[in-house]
Amino acid sequence: MSFHRSPDPAAPPAISVEDYAKATRNIPEDFAGEKAELEATQRAVVNILEDFTAEKAHLEEAQRAALNILEDFTADRAWFEDAQRAMLNILDDFGQERVRVEAANRDLSEAFESLRQAKEAVEAANRELDAFAYSVAHDLRAPLRAMDGFSMALLEDCREKLDGDASEYLMRIRAASQRMAQLIDDLLQLSRVTRGEMRRSTVDLSGAARAIAQELRESQPTRRAEFIIEDDLVAEGDVSLLQQVLRNLLENAWKFTAKHPAARIEFGATERDGVRAFFVRDDGAGFDMAYADKLFGVFQRLHSAGDFQGTGIGLATVQRIVHRHGGRVWAEGAPERGATFYFALAQAPRARVVQQGREDRC
Amino acid sequence: MLNSRIILLVEDNSDDATLTMRALKKNNVANEVIVAEDGAQALEYLFGAGAAGRVAPEVVLLDLKLPKVDGLEVLRQIRADERTKCLPVVILTSSSEERDMVEGYRLGANSYVRKPVEFVEFSHAVGQLGLYWLLLNQVPPKRA
Repeated sequence: MSFHRSPDPAAPPAISVEDYAKATRNIPEDFAGEKAELEATQRAVVNILEDFTAEKAHLEEAQRAALNILEDFTADRAWFEDAQRAMLNILDDFGQERVRVEAANRDLSEAFESLRQAKEAVEAANRELDAFAYSVAHDLRAPLRAMDGFSMALLEDCREKLDGDASEYLMRIRAASQRMAQLIDDLLQLSRVTRGEMRRSTVDLSGAARAIAQELRESQPTRRAEFIIEDDLVAEGDVSLLQQVLRNLLENAWKFTAKHPAARIEFGATERDGVRAFFVRDDGAGFDMAYADKLFGVFQRLHSAGDFQGTGIGLATVQRIVHRHGGRVWAEGAPERGATFYFALAQAPRARVVQQGREDRC
Repeated sequence: MLNSRIILLVEDNSDDATLTMRALKKNNVANEVIVAEDGAQALEYLFGAGAAGRVAPEVVLLDLKLPKVDGLEVLRQIRADERTKCLPVVILTSSSEERDMVEGYRLGANSYVRKPVEFVEFSHAVGQLGLYWLLLNQVPPKRA
């Protein structure tokens, strides 16, 4: 201890014994205070420790719970991972599906677009055809009327100045103008067949055929002709177009039986290759089957104009109308043994018989 | 008296105009025929300056395809005007197009006749028109 050594001149002044004794007496007192403090601290620590033990129990409980949860979670996790894998697969499939659908959509839009363009082109072509037909109707007939009219005027006003040949030539001019007018009318009829709107309904074919037969009989009452028309024949289609088909076929039959002393003209229905077909049959001039494919061509004629009048447009019109109805036409015949013209119409499903863009007409 | 009734023929084709007049003569319809060569001339005759001083036609024979103002427009204006609302108008045209016929009647045409190419038929048709509209048909008395 340093205070046992000889006094150090640099050391602080020496403490007296009394001071020391006093100090020593104070120590226990100080210590008691210290002790109390220590005990308080110890109690606090014990309290803290007690609290901590409770806390620890809590914590352990929580930990156990957490472990349980984790255990549960592990099971769940496995399930979840499975689900996730399944989901990913689905998403994957969906992704692929989506790509396919998108591609299909693109194809579809492209198809729609080209359809729209095609429709526009057809409409434009139809408008042009319409304008053309209109012009034909108006402008091509006028000069013919002048040719016929002024030839007639010459024949009437200057008859005494014209010799036999001159009159004959004027008659030929008149005949030619009238024939051309007929050609124009028939061509117009043919173009109208494809231009007009189709208005579908149930058409009474038997009734229409009877009305046309009656008109034909009245046009030449002295002819011996028998019409045999099957009852209750109906078809789905455009009334005026189907009437046109019957008119052209019956008029043909009427015309090509004219040179026989008696005629028998039939309208009926039959079955061909499982398809219902209507037919118009006559026992007239007929035709050679070798030329059957030419029958329905525009301006194609199998008889000379001298034998039978005609422009060669009637059957072409029939074919166009039947094609517009999704059907087909064909013919059978033999020279001088008559001809049979068949037409079959597509069996349009009812649902498609929606009347589209129907025009209201007064 | 009959001859004071005039016909207004609206026709741009001089051949057709000549033939129409010949057909009228052949059928003893001797009425005066005023020819308008396009729709504008027809409207000028009916509604133009001095129209009030001109003889109103008994019937209008109207072609459809005309220069300047077409026949359907002439008809529309005739029907829209109080002075000519009841004036008989016969469409006399080359066209047998359904839409012309439908539109013609819709606008108030009294008849629609297609000009036949064959002159005998043409003459017959025009003669019938003249006789019907100038002789048979009765119209209310004209206002002074």
